[in-house]
Amino acid sequence: MSDFVRRRLNMKRKVLIVDDEEINRLILQNILEPDYEVVLASNGKEALDVVKEEGNRFSLILLDLLMPVMDGYEFFNNLKKDEKYSQIPVIVLTSEKEEELKSLSIGVADFIPKPYDVPEVIKARIGRIIQLYEDHDIITATQFDTLTGLFNKEYFCEYASMADQYYPQDEKDMIAINVNRFHVINAIHGRDFGDEVLAVIGKVLKDYVNENRGIACHFDADTFYVYVKSKDHAEGLHDAICNSLKIILEDSELRIRLGIYKNASANPDFGRRIDYALLACNSLKGSFKEYAAYYDEDIIKNVHYKEMLIRDLDRALSERQFKVFFQPKYAIQKGEPELSSAEALIRWIHPEHGMISPGVFIPLFENNGLISKVDHYVWKEAAETVAKWKKEYGKSIPVSVNVSRVDMMNDGLVSDIKSIVEEAGIDRSEFLLEITESAYTDDKSQIIGLVNELRSEGFKIEMDDFGTGYSSLNMLTDLPFDVLKLDMVFVRNIHTDDRARKLVKFIMEIANFLRVTTIAEGVELKEQYEILKEMGCDVIQGYYFSKPLPEEEFEKLLKGE
Amino acid sequence: MTIDELNALGANTKEGLARCAGKEAFYLQLIPKVLDAGKYTELDNLLKEKKYDEAFEVAHSLKGVLANLSLTPVFEPVSEITEGLRTKKDLNYEDLLNKMWDARNRFAELL
Repeated sequence: MSDFVRRRLNMKRKVLIVDDEEINRLILQNILEPDYEVVLASNGKEALDVVKEEGNRFSLILLDLLMPVMDGYEFFNNLKKDEKYSQIPVIVLTSEKEEELKSLSIGVADFIPKPYDVPEVIKARIGRIIQLYEDHDIITATQFDTLTGLFNKEYFCEYASMADQYYPQDEKDMIAINVNRFHVINAIHGRDFGDEVLAVIGKVLKDYVNENRGIACHFDADTFYVYVKSKDHAEGLHDAICNSLKIILEDSELRIRLGIYKNASANPDFGRRIDYALLACNSLKGSFKEYAAYYDEDIIKNVHYKEMLIRDLDRALSERQFKVFFQPKYAIQKGEPELSSAEALIRWIHPEHGMISPGVFIPLFENNGLISKVDHYVWKEAAETVAKWKKEYGKSIPVSVNVSRVDMMNDGLVSDIKSIVEEAGIDRSEFLLEITESAYTDDKSQIIGLVNELRSEGFKIEMDDFGTGYSSLNMLTDLPFDVLKLDMVFVRNIHTDDRARKLVKFIMEIANFLRVTTIAEGVELKEQYEILKEMGCDVIQGYYFSKPLPEEEFEKLLKGE
Repeated sequence: MTIDELNALGANTKEGLARCAGKEAFYLQLIPKVLDAGKYTELDNLLKEKKYDEAFEVAHSLKGVLANLSLTPVFEPVSEITEGLRTKKDLNYEDLLNKMWDARNRFAELL
């Protein structure tokens, strides 16, 4: 590459002449010096010292073979051994026919016979070799990713198409490889370390494709591709990468995802091969069990389905396709269970696709930030409903709504919620805000600041999904919240599993210590209800009392029907 | 020493000059170097001592230089010696050495 720069800058290229005969050196120097910068050495050893001193700044070495101290062959072997200089082209100076062949066979670029040809011929020969090597250098520099040594994406496509031509009988798989949460590795350990991780993956992939007849590329950021003769690659490739990375990374930091498009070579559209492998890879986002996914028709259908949901969102909001359901919560510690509040839950009744599960669209909108629009819609609906119930039934039933992570990034969140509540004409204590436990652990100081502000404005905060966010006990004492909502996974086996029961009891004691109200979600059975009541759980939510109800159905409860 | 004098002794100066990009002064500057007695003496001694491998290296190198400067009358016996040593033929090296010295000395007289 340095030669390329030299050529672009119109600099004189440097040539080393190695010959034990002074006259031969002088003749060549005389021929070359107007056009080249010439350095002279009288044997292999001297030449090696000069090369090491000058770095790889030589564009060419002219080398005599028979020399004292160190002959041309020994010099050449030493030169090739050192990666820094092995790319410098060498032209052998020889009067022997046999040596011409021998030297070419060990990898010299060309030979110049002795006695020398006329200067023009020698110069033409030298110029041609330098250009050939420079062009080769440029191509080499362009086709490889410097960080990983793998092909870059453009050349990957070229070589993949060559692989198809040369091995048309082979079925080939396209595999997308991605490092999960690579940005976190970069953030924690620094970019240099991140680069090291990518370089290690590059090395593994290079070895893997060499053994399995394939090619590999560093596509961008933390995404790699392998195009390789079809077989069952998932486990071998995954283990090879993980085993190499284990040397520099902790197990817990390391997650590699593979998206495999089997027999991708059958698809004539190369772009699709890449896209489909990546779709399969991305389908693993959020999955902690699986490390490999295979492209199939369902994946593409799923992608189209999600695109449709995103596209239809605005229309759905304006046409009020979203319905807010209310799941009653019952206070159970004062005699008979008493309806105390409700949780607002959204349902999407799509005009073409019918009821769409919130389990499908909520994670999707959480990922792309659109959840804010949905949340805002729910907040307004819920606040207006609380107001309506107060007005029509004279009952204050507080409703809890979800506040997503994305909402918390919004600087205007507090004023938004305040104005919704004000417009509806309800009390702030009637509008409960649910924040998932894991949001607290994501960015503790920012969330704590926000929650403190909301509480100082008179809002009550329910910590949702408690037990799934990995708060440390120590951390819990610092987190501001008013209500602890125990995740349903803890309740599920409470009546059959002694350990689950003990765990819930322990959580109840923590809540008691923190002086916060407890709500258990997902209570379906009488046994569960009774155990929770005995343990001192304040509020129960779940199918045991009621599933989420449409507004009209909920109102029947208010009417006492 | 002039080009004509070299030609008169049988040197192919046209060829030799061409290798020196036609620079006559430069060419003439190289001639005394190739006629330096050191290498010839070294070759002579090695042959007499029957150190044929070492003699080959010296002869080979001398031959190359003579060829580049096209001092044909000196080049020819040196070339024969080189080939003889390479193929390990039992040549009459003394005779060839004499021819070499004669030719070399004739040129050296021009200096």
